[in-house]
Amino acid sequence: MRLWLAYPVKCGFTELNGCCIYFGYFSMAALTRQDLNFGQVAADILCEFLEVAIHLILYVREIYPSGIFQKRKKYNVPVQMSCHPELNQYIQDTLHCVKPLIEKNEAEKVVVVIMDKEHHPVERFVFEISQPPLLSISSETLLSHVEQLLRAMILKISVCDAVLDNNPSGCTFTVLVHTREAATRNMEKVQVIKDFPWIVADEQEVHMEEAKLIPLKTMTSDILKMQLYVEERTQKT
Amino acid sequence: MSRDGWRKKASEDDGWGGRGGYMAAKISKLEEQFQKDAPREKQKDGTSSYIFSGVAIYVNGYTDPSADELRRLMMLHGGQFHLYYTRSKTTHIIATNLPNRKIQELKGEKVVRPEWITDSIKAGHQLSYVQYQLYTKQKGLNFTSVCARGKQDPSSSHEPSKPSLNHPDIISEEDAERPRVNGIHDGDDDDYDNACALLPRGSQDTLLTNGYVHPVNGALKPQDSFAELQLHVVDTGSHQSHLPQTESRDREESSCSSAGSKANSHQRSLISTDLHPKPTSKPGTSAAPQKGNLHDQTRVRLNGSYHMTPNSSTLADSSNQPGRSGQGAEAGIISEFFSHSRLHHISTWRNEFSEYVNGLQSRSRAAGGAVFSGKEKLKKLKANCSSGVLSLWFMFVRQSCILHVDMDCFFVSVGIRHRPDLKGKPVAVTSNRGPGRVAQRPGANPQLEFQYYQRKQNQYRKDGDLEMTPSPQCDEVPSNGVDLDLAALSMAEIASCSYEARQTGVRNGMFFGRAKQLCPDLQSVPYDFQAYKEVALSMYETLASYTHNIEALSCDEALVDATKLLVELGVTPDDLARAIREDIKEKTGCSASVGMGSNILLARMATRKAKPNGQYFLRSEEVDDFIRDQPVSSLPGVGRSMSSKLTSLGVSTCGDLQQLSISRLQREFGPRTGQTLFRFCRGLDDRPVRSEKERKSVSAEMNYNIRFTQVEEAESFLTNLSMEVQKRMEGAGLRGRRITLKVMMRKPGAPVEPAKYGGHGICDNFARSVLLAQPTDSGQLIAAEAIKLFYAMKLDVKDMRGVGLQVQQLEGSYADPSGQGPSRGRSIKDLLLAKQPAHSPRKDPLAQDGLTGPSSSRAFSSNQERVTPPSSPPSTSSDPMPGTSKGGLHHPHTPNHVRTYLNVSIEVPSPSQVDQSVLEALPVDIRKQVEQSWRHREEQPSTSSHLSTPPRTSSSPPPGPSLGTLVLQLPDQPGQPCTTGIILELPDFSQVDPEVFAALPRELQEELCSAYRNKGNAQAHAQAQGSAVEQKNPFSQLKQPAVGKLKRRYKKRNASPAKKGPSPLKKLFPGNSPAKSSPSKTLPLPLKQPGLKTENVRCPSSPSTDVPETLSKLNPRPVPTLAGAYEFSDIRTLLREWVTTISEPMEEDILQVVKYCTELVEDKDLEKLYLVIKYMKRLMQQSSESVWSMAFDFVLDNVQVVVQQTYGSTLKIT
Repeated sequence: MRLWLAYPVKCGFTELNGCCIYFGYFSMAALTRQDLNFGQVAADILCEFLEVAIHLILYVREIYPSGIFQKRKKYNVPVQMSCHPELNQYIQDTLHCVKPLIEKNEAEKVVVVIMDKEHHPVERFVFEISQPPLLSISSETLLSHVEQLLRAMILKISVCDAVLDNNPSGCTFTVLVHTREAATRNMEKVQVIKDFPWIVADEQEVHMEEAKLIPLKTMTSDILKMQLYVEERTQKT
Repeated sequence: MSRDGWRKKASEDDGWGGRGGYMAAKISKLEEQFQKDAPREKQKDGTSSYIFSGVAIYVNGYTDPSADELRRLMMLHGGQFHLYYTRSKTTHIIATNLPNRKIQELKGEKVVRPEWITDSIKAGHQLSYVQYQLYTKQKGLNFTSVCARGKQDPSSSHEPSKPSLNHPDIISEEDAERPRVNGIHDGDDDDYDNACALLPRGSQDTLLTNGYVHPVNGALKPQDSFAELQLHVVDTGSHQSHLPQTESRDREESSCSSAGSKANSHQRSLISTDLHPKPTSKPGTSAAPQKGNLHDQTRVRLNGSYHMTPNSSTLADSSNQPGRSGQGAEAGIISEFFSHSRLHHISTWRNEFSEYVNGLQSRSRAAGGAVFSGKEKLKKLKANCSSGVLSLWFMFVRQSCILHVDMDCFFVSVGIRHRPDLKGKPVAVTSNRGPGRVAQRPGANPQLEFQYYQRKQNQYRKDGDLEMTPSPQCDEVPSNGVDLDLAALSMAEIASCSYEARQTGVRNGMFFGRAKQLCPDLQSVPYDFQAYKEVALSMYETLASYTHNIEALSCDEALVDATKLLVELGVTPDDLARAIREDIKEKTGCSASVGMGSNILLARMATRKAKPNGQYFLRSEEVDDFIRDQPVSSLPGVGRSMSSKLTSLGVSTCGDLQQLSISRLQREFGPRTGQTLFRFCRGLDDRPVRSEKERKSVSAEMNYNIRFTQVEEAESFLTNLSMEVQKRMEGAGLRGRRITLKVMMRKPGAPVEPAKYGGHGICDNFARSVLLAQPTDSGQLIAAEAIKLFYAMKLDVKDMRGVGLQVQQLEGSYADPSGQGPSRGRSIKDLLLAKQPAHSPRKDPLAQDGLTGPSSSRAFSSNQERVTPPSSPPSTSSDPMPGTSKGGLHHPHTPNHVRTYLNVSIEVPSPSQVDQSVLEALPVDIRKQVEQSWRHREEQPSTSSHLSTPPRTSSSPPPGPSLGTLVLQLPDQPGQPCTTGIILELPDFSQVDPEVFAALPRELQEELCSAYRNKGNAQAHAQAQGSAVEQKNPFSQLKQPAVGKLKRRYKKRNASPAKKGPSPLKKLFPGNSPAKSSPSKTLPLPLKQPGLKTENVRCPSSPSTDVPETLSKLNPRPVPTLAGAYEFSDIRTLLREWVTTISEPMEEDILQVVKYCTELVEDKDLEKLYLVIKYMKRLMQQSSESVWSMAFDFVLDNVQVVVQQTYGSTLKIT
């Protein structure tokens, strides 16, 4: 497993670490997406969802004071969204960079890592993205079906604190992307384009001792298959 | 290496930096000179006055009277003449025609036509300049007065007095005049006659006197046209007719215009010059980029020499209708383009030499060891001299030694090797044969091009790769352009120049004319591609006579890994280098420099020091000191942009760079580059000398002369391009999976017709790619995909300016797919090794009946893929291993294995009868034995049916993958009548069921047919039939794979509950609900049906292990089921039944549950797993029997292990 350094981005109240990448060993048969629009649609949907989810996780896990969050409605359920511009920008930039990877099916996992003051991860929200058994967009109804599934996932996130231990204070977060091998080269490109550096993650940021895995939700739709689970450090403090 | 060098230098001493000091001195000196000359001039000419006192003019571009004459006039009449423009001192700028950029630059200045001076002199006093202004500021610069036309005879109706003439007026005026325009060569129209008569003179003038950079301006000047060249164009009918961009009316004229050779050459210049003002009248277009494009084409992309290549010029000359479309679509043009482009030619050499080296290696291998004549010689030499000192070297140094051999100014030394008279003289290789001036072809408007180029430079320079990258020569051209001699300079670029020439400041890539100025003695030598090739080849031969560890870098540069050689010979690197250099000198007549170091980087750096004609060995102890002083730009990969970035970090030498931490570097330059820099600046370099660089892509691109009008043209062009790609891939013996279509589209707003004839102009680049399921080298397939991509991009064909096709993810097309995985990423050694197993069967006496190695092994592999075995495996199966994949099957079989296992005779069913998954589940060694025995079998008069597979895959690749996967996904059906058993063995007609064949999916049929056709003989016939049969089974199974699978299990399971009494599940799930099988939980099946046990255990795992890695999306992954139950509610019911009705769980059933859970993990459905586990936990821990608790613990432990393996952490069970 290769590990890359993180590039710190200063944010309002805390230091956000830049997004990190590391490479899994998977050499999944790359899937042919003849119709690129298709991949884009899926990536759009997914990134939109991820944005909502990241905000919600930050809220639920109390990474930021609840004062910066506003209640919004998404997928027909209330969600919390940060209104801190820099944080929002950071999340957007991150997802902006993730999107091309998702489009090309190169991102295996998108991970929201919550780290304690020493930058050791305490919790990881892992969105594991895989290819649905059948790739197709047949009709509008399916998209609404996707929305239902995403809603379920959002709801799961909003109650996940029930199954998770409390985090120590002063936590920060970072976003990791686990890419498939093939994405290595492209990442350089992504960096250049977005001026938003992706750096290979540190061992320290990836490794979590005695992690416990708590599956939250799995969804399978025609365009997207994703599961969300949380890895939690046994001893959080 | 050297390219970095000259590029850097060229950019640094471009003269701009020195402007402050040098230029200031020069200007003042010129002024002095002017003052000195003035009285003398006045003496000579009596008509002196002081009407221009206080006036300082600066002449920009071509004027009439000429700059010289104006200078004289100013001297006579008390004015000042500035050779260089200074805003503070110069009062008036004299010009007749300014490019748009200039106009913008000079906004706010008094830009006046030369008539102001002549008229003032005539009038005897200084006239108001207002009337003579070249343009009016408010009015934008677009529509300047037409008056200029009349300037030569002031009586003309178009007096220069309408600065604010608006466009429509002009047009109408001109339209009225058009009839006359067409008759341009009539002598009766004074204006036009005048204009025309002046033309030739104009160009001659520019040659000799015109100080301005661009001769074209000179050519145009006689008409005194102003910035608005469109008007001008109308004036000069004969030229304008050639303009590609003028409206259609202009095109009509082209027929009547004379197209003499002169006109032709003018036309070419006009294309470029006239285009630039045009944008001024067309909003949204800009002049400069066009020029840039021209540069792009001629200088950058094609690396300078291209614009002189015969084909480009003939193309441009012969077809004067660039507006006509579809040139690019002509079929022949692609291969012609590529076969003519010199640069393409040269760039292919590296590959050729790589292949040459490979060829040498393989030959020597075949011969059982090469004869290294050079090495022998050196050995002898060494034997002769006392070796005492030499061996000392080895006492100390046992490190690797890389030699970097680089010919000294290759093109030059080759060019003059038969011309001893030129030795030691400044020599440049260029396409210009004359004295450095061009008469016939007034160039484009270089000034503008330069301006644009300057801007673009940074960007483009990065692209330059060959030694002939464009130079920043334009930087050296004074922007004000009064430099007298520059006008008519040859624009031919210098591909290479000798060291003598370099001393005078001549650089590679410089324009020849410019170089000639710097070094008047400069001799030009024409290109001699044949000779280059010969010399390069003999250089490589020489190197190869020492060792085969050669990496070809280019035609004149190679890396040699001499580590072993040195050890073997016991000589010092210096001796070796000397010997090599002498050899090369002797054989080629050209000198080479050799740099030596412990790695590639150091060797290359040493070469710098070694040059010219020397050698330098960078000892490891010197490295630190040496590298500290090296400029960062000498590191590979540090180009202009990076070095400027480094400069901004305060880094100029490697020593400085060493001060930066790796994290800092990585932050600045990205992870990979940062690390590379970090290592390089310390002289660390672990790149191996590779005889063959991994080839990453094969592509063909064309961006010259692409003008489509219809989609069909684009399609056929793509097809042709695909064929070119196919040709190249075949040449390289590669196939690729990813096809990328790159399209250059005219940038919105860019002129429809670029400055360069047939060029691509300013473009946006688009690219799309597609990943094929199987590597291909078929042009047709590539074309099909490319066309698909093309349509997906939804582009307007009319705007297409360039098309490129690239194939990536390559693998060797002849490499044994089963044996060695993809060939990419392998060095030549691997390649050679890889080929051996393929060939080994040939040597095997058993396999000598005409089977070529590769095909036989491929047949083997494809058989494996297609097998759908009906019966259980021969040997007892161990527990299925979730991690094993089908890929395991394809682990490299080295020849050793083959030989070892050939002797082993075990009773092995035919491959067709063995379940793939079972095979995987076998321990590796057993599996290998089985496979080997199959292989063995095939090597024997291997049934012809096996042969049918290779052609099939290659002849019709598209169905191939689907076929393979299709078959694979079928579960085995032990209970079914076994039709498959005979498939491969009996490719007999009689076996073929026509109905089955008919029932096959269309693709399969087609595939079979094509295989059929390809074979074209009875044998093939049989084979095709055989494969048809082969397909038959999968197909028949296809209908009910899932059902069959489930049924099978139920059957088996049903037997058991019967004994235990009616299962509660039966009530719950009447009929053939999957849940029926649940009673299985109660049964120790293995005992009752030993044959089925393995089957049973394996079954669920097989899909999950096979599928994810081998199958494409065509192949939906089976959902994990527990005894057929899929929905969580069913699972729950099932579990409840199991726990509540049975008092003591059977191990078998527990395993079944574990299996199911494992599948869930693999299926990435942790949620369900979590629910299942939790449910079980509740059920089982509640159960009164402690066995259940233990069972749960067992299940949980197993699941945790799997989860741990997959996710690195364990489930949190609360």
